Amino acid sequence: MTAQGAHIERPYSAGGIVKRGLITWDKSQIPPEVFEERVRRVRTVLSERDLPALVVYSELWRSNQGRFFSNYMPYFNRALLILPRDTPPTLLCGLSPRVYGWIRSVTTIDDVRPAGNFSKPLFELAAERKWLRIGLLDLVQFPYDIYQALRGGSMSLVNVESAAVFSPADDKAELEMRLKAWHDAAVVLEDEIPNGVGLVDHHFVGRLERRFRRAGVEDLIVLLTNGKTVPAPPAGVTLEEGFSVSVALEYRGHWVRLSRTHGMMVATSPALVERLDGSYPYECGSGKIRAEHYEYVHNGKRLFYGNTIL
Amino acid sequence: MLNLERRRQFIDLMAESAWDVLLLYGQSWRKDFFRSLINFNFFGPHAVAALTRSNEISVVLSHPWDCELLEGRVDAAVTWDPNFRGAVRRLSSGKTAIAGREFMEARFVQEETVSATAAVEAVRRFKTPQEIDILKQAARLADAGYQYFVDTARVGMAEYELVAEVEAFLKTNGAEDNFMLIGSGGTEIFGMRPPTERRLQEGDNITTELTPQVNGYYAQICRTMVLGEPSTEQRRSFAIFHEAQAAAQAFLKPGVNIKDVARVQNDVFRREGYGEYTGAKYTRVRGHNLGLYPDENPWVLEDVDCVVNKDMVLIAHPNTYLPLSGYMVFGDTLLVTEDGCVSLNQTEKKLFSKL
Repeated sequence: MTAQGAHIERPYSAGGIVKRGLITWDKSQIPPEVFEERVRRVRTVLSERDLPALVVYSELWRSNQGRFFSNYMPYFNRALLILPRDTPPTLLCGLSPRVYGWIRSVTTIDDVRPAGNFSKPLFELAAERKWLRIGLLDLVQFPYDIYQALRGGSMSLVNVESAAVFSPADDKAELEMRLKAWHDAAVVLEDEIPNGVGLVDHHFVGRLERRFRRAGVEDLIVLLTNGKTVPAPPAGVTLEEGFSVSVALEYRGHWVRLSRTHGMMVATSPALVERLDGSYPYECGSGKIRAEHYEYVHNGKRLFYGNTIL
Repeated sequence: MLNLERRRQFIDLMAESAWDVLLLYGQSWRKDFFRSLINFNFFGPHAVAALTRSNEISVVLSHPWDCELLEGRVDAAVTWDPNFRGAVRRLSSGKTAIAGREFMEARFVQEETVSATAAVEAVRRFKTPQEIDILKQAARLADAGYQYFVDTARVGMAEYELVAEVEAFLKTNGAEDNFMLIGSGGTEIFGMRPPTERRLQEGDNITTELTPQVNGYYAQICRTMVLGEPSTEQRRSFAIFHEAQAAAQAFLKPGVNIKDVARVQNDVFRREGYGEYTGAKYTRVRGHNLGLYPDENPWVLEDVDCVVNKDMVLIAHPNTYLPLSGYMVFGDTLLVTEDGCVSLNQTEKKLFSKL
């Protein structure tokens, strides 16, 4: 089945259980002022809506928003990032306090607290600061257990839609980081794909893992096909002429996705098989950051090509 | 791909619980409930399998590529739907229970459904023969991965470079995924985390938890190595960890309680005067179950009440901080047998060192 014009909400998520690439904050790439400006916009919206704070949910595969505001990228477990209108951010974190020092070293956050079941520490913080209502970014997309626990409190919960505060497509630093991720990925694929024919797909994936992770990539998802199916996880098959590889990778929290074909042949009858246009702001953003992937058929072989487009 | 024994167990569970439909939900981070029935490594963000009391299975995936890859490979109606909320509603009927309901996005959950998470976890706790075979393969890969880790680590290498090499090795050898943390240094190191740019130095303790996933299932190994000749303190510290892990392995058998598996490990530390380092300030758990998720329940802690039985697969690891040498780890994946347990790992039980 080929789904032409398919519209997928969230693209980059085939993935793993823990991030084991380099998670860091290079302040020459993203200076602290960038985060301050992003948070300033949040505070403006909070003022307009008379909310004392915004709560942002973060987990391994939904980290873009929290990262955008604080550079917090969880390697495991869940967290709530709290952005108050008048004071510095607080992180309620499911990870052990033994790694809080590390979290402080790679984020803008000083106040890191154990999360427990999330509602108790949030209610305590609210009581401490006399908050009676609070904004939650995309409330209905919170995990159901946290959503239920928060609804059990006396505080009013107010949904704040992503589009109001999360604008990666309008953010120069965001675009530059994604462009770097895309460029570096394209270079590695250009180098490696010609050597892929004749390799078992697991070996080819191993080569990509080594190249990308040594280059500082945080996470990586590789799908492959010899042209008989859509790209799929490696399965122990030998790669043939005209194989396609689809790579999603995260560089310092910034995801891009590319598909390339070995010996890219002349396109005939391309079919758009996937368009990601920002409908799911965790990974895309407001229509300007999008990914398009095309399927071409050449001599009966299905070829895949695509990019994240900025 | 279809776990027939689980299917039968789930049907029995549904009858006992008077559920009409059991939904097994999976998302990127927690695919395990879905994969406990249909062991398919989906790419898209969501997947759900619906099992009815009449033993029929329907699968809805949120990405069309997943649908193409699964269709025709499993005895189930397979479709994809970008409107996942609508799909979940269509699959629900009568009294519907959901395994994984807690981590579904709130917009997907209908209030009238009930959670099947704990009940399904309890069923999954005991592995089928086929699952045990896969876990043995994963444990062998963990052993090979650790040997590669030791062979590759060297003074001057950054932590993230070492992890990149190990990751490449595991993927080359067929791992789907790998849960891995690392720590390096001395008494200033209180735990493990993702790799940093820190460069390995002579005398470092290098700790890792390696957990390759093979065909969906994770097996784990925890070992500590020293770059250089281990110091007296490092050796003394390791001896405590070694004894604690051995105590757990000697104790573990059907009928014992998980809280006592934790206690026998902690007692070794208490006897040596390090009882305070068995608490939450310095450590997380003394082990955990393994399977389709690398950190399954039960967690091995002194306040967890759970009776051990045959065919559980868990790791006992007394990983913690000690002032002698900093954070240390040591543990094997253990299969509970009729009258005890066996280690699925074959890596030597020693403090590794590399001169």
